[in-house]
Amino acid sequence: MAVVAAAAGSLRRAGWGLLRCRPVVRCPLYPAQRAFHASALLRRVSDEQKQEPPPSSSQQRFESHPPGDQPDQEPQRSHHSYTDQGGEESEDYESEEQLQQRILTAALEFVPAHGWTGDAIAEGAKALGLSVAAAGMFHSDGSELILHFVSQCNSELSNLLEEQQKLVQLGQAEKKKTDQFLRDAVEARLRMLIPYIEKWPQAVSILLLPHNIPSSLNLLTSMVDDMWHYAGDQSTDINWYTRRTVLAGIYNTTELVMMQDSSPDFEETWHFLENRIADAMKMGITAKQVQLTGEALVQGLMGAAVTIKNLAGLNQRR
Amino acid sequence: SAKFTPLPKMAASIGAVVCRALHSRRHGKFLSIGRGLFSGARCLVAEGETHFGFQTVSETEKGEKVYHVFESVAKKYDIMNDSMSLGIHRLWKDILLHQMNPYPGTQLLDVAGGTGDIAFRFINYVRSQWEHQIRQKLKSHQNLSWQEISKSYQEEELKLPGGSQVVVCDINKEMLKVGKQKAQHLGYSEGLSWVVGNAEELPFNDSKFDVYTIAFGIRNVTHIDQALQEAYRVLKPGGRFLCLEFSQVNNPLFSRLYDLYSFQVIPVLGEIIAGDWKSYQYLVESIRHFPAQEEFKAMIEDAGFLKVEYRNLTSGIVAIHSGFKL
Repeated sequence: MAVVAAAAGSLRRAGWGLLRCRPVVRCPLYPAQRAFHASALLRRVSDEQKQEPPPSSSQQRFESHPPGDQPDQEPQRSHHSYTDQGGEESEDYESEEQLQQRILTAALEFVPAHGWTGDAIAEGAKALGLSVAAAGMFHSDGSELILHFVSQCNSELSNLLEEQQKLVQLGQAEKKKTDQFLRDAVEARLRMLIPYIEKWPQAVSILLLPHNIPSSLNLLTSMVDDMWHYAGDQSTDINWYTRRTVLAGIYNTTELVMMQDSSPDFEETWHFLENRIADAMKMGITAKQVQLTGEALVQGLMGAAVTIKNLAGLNQRR
Repeated sequence: SAKFTPLPKMAASIGAVVCRALHSRRHGKFLSIGRGLFSGARCLVAEGETHFGFQTVSETEKGEKVYHVFESVAKKYDIMNDSMSLGIHRLWKDILLHQMNPYPGTQLLDVAGGTGDIAFRFINYVRSQWEHQIRQKLKSHQNLSWQEISKSYQEEELKLPGGSQVVVCDINKEMLKVGKQKAQHLGYSEGLSWVVGNAEELPFNDSKFDVYTIAFGIRNVTHIDQALQEAYRVLKPGGRFLCLEFSQVNNPLFSRLYDLYSFQVIPVLGEIIAGDWKSYQYLVESIRHFPAQEEFKAMIEDAGFLKVEYRNLTSGIVAIHSGFKL
C-alpha cells in the first residue's frame, strides 16, 4: 500500500516536471509587464520605503520560461514611434517606463473616487510628489491605468498558483481536481476586482475600445493560459485551443455576473461559476460520448449493409 | 537638404539686395531667386552673430530688432493672426490646450504669451472641466460638499477652480498691454497675472510651474537652448513643456504653395492691414530659419526633457513639441 502511494507520488512529481516543458509558445506578454518585473531589480535602494508593488517577487514566474525570453526583458519599451530615448536614466536611477509604472500604481488608490480616468492618474502623480502635468504622459481615457491593473492582477494570480503548486509538490497540500482548481483560480482572480467593482463596468467598456483590444486580449489569453498550465493541461492538439476558449468564456461571463451581483460576498457569482464549470466538464464528457456513439452507429450501419449484401448474394464472387 | 554657405557679409548683402527687390511688389522673378537662395537653407554665421529673418545681425541687435517688430505690431497682432492663417491659428491653439489637458490646480506659465490667447483658453478649459466634474458627481449621486454646491451657484467665480493659475510672461510691454486690455474686455480677471520677462532669463524661482507653454515665441528668442534650459529650471518634477511653433512642411507640393503664400501674400497683408511690410517679412523669414521638427526635438532632449514627442498640424506648417521633466 505504502509502495503504491510512493510510486504514485513519484509519478505525480514526474508529471509536474513534464509540465515545465511547455508544448506551445505563449503569447507575448504586455510589454509593461516585463518592464514592471525588471523594475524590481533596478529600483534605487532608498526607494524601498515607497510603496512596493505586490508582484515584485514575481521573478520566479519566469523560471518555467525557456531562457530565450530573458534577454527580452528590457526595461525600456517605447510605445510611441517618435521617441528614441533608450536607456536614458533620470536622477532617480530608474527609466521613464518604471516611473510610469509607479505613477499608475499610485493612481489605483484614487480610482474609486475618480474612476478609471486621467484624473485618477493626475492624483496618483500628485501623491508621488510629481506635478499633475505628468498625467499628460498617458492617454486621457485611462486605458494605461486599466491595463496596468489587469496585468498586476494577472501576476498576482500566477504567484498564487505557483505557490500552491509548490505546496503540492512538497506534499503539504492535496492536488485538486481540475474543476475545483479552475473554480478556485477564477474565484481568486475575480476577488481582486472587489475593491474596484463599482467602477469596473467603466473599465470593461474602455478595454473594449478598438485601440485597446489587442492589449486586453493579450492579457486575457495569457491569464487563461496560466490557469490551464497550473491546472495540469498538457494537450498538444485542438484541445489546447478549445480549453482556453471555454475558460475565457467562463471567466468573462462570470465577470459580467459579478458586476451586477448584490448578494453578500458575491455568493451568487460563485454559484454561477460552479455551474458553468460543471457545464464545461459535462460538455467535454458529452462530446466524447457523442463521438463514440457516432462511431458505433457508423459501424452498426456498415455491418447492416454488409449483412444485406450477403443475404442478397451480392458478395459472392463468381 | 543641401546647405548654402556663403560668407556672412556676402549673405547680408545678397539678402539686402533681395529684400530691396522684394519690396518692389510686382517683381515675381526676384522673388523666386530669393526663395531659391534661402528656402530651407541656414547660412553659417560668425561667432556672436545670428539670424534676423534672412539678415545676419549680431546677437544683441537681434533682441532689439525683435522687440521693435513686436512693439509695432502689438495692436494689430490678433487681426493679423486671423487674416494670415485664415483663422486656423485658433484651431492650433485649441489643439494645444486639448493636448495639455490641464487638471484643476495646474500652474501654467505662458512665455511669449503676449496677447494672452493661450492663457484665456486655459482658463476656459479649466472652468469647463470643473463644471463637467460637478455634473459627473451629480449624475453619480455623490454627495457634494457645501463648498462645491455654493461654487456652482456663483456667477462670478472669485478663484479659478482647484487653484489653477496662469502667469503670462512676455519681454514686450506693448504686447502685455494689449493682452491686459483684452482680458478686461473679455472678463478674465482671476487666476491671471502678467509679468515682463526674458525667456532666456525668467524671473521665477526653480520648480514653480506644472506646465510651460510657448506658442509662436521661441523662434524669436536669440538663444533657444537657454530658453529651453530656463523652461527646465522653472518646471516642477513631472512638469510638462509644450511648444507650438511653425515648422517644416513635409509635403513638397504643399510646401511650394505654402512658400508662395508666405512670401507673396503675407507681407502684402501686413502692409494693408497693419501698415508694416517689414515686420511681416521678418515673420515669414524667421519661420524658414527655425529648425525642423526632429532637430528641435533633439534640442529639447538636450535641455534634459524626457519623453519628447512632436505632432504635426496642417501637414507640418505648425508642430507641437512636448517634453516632460522627469
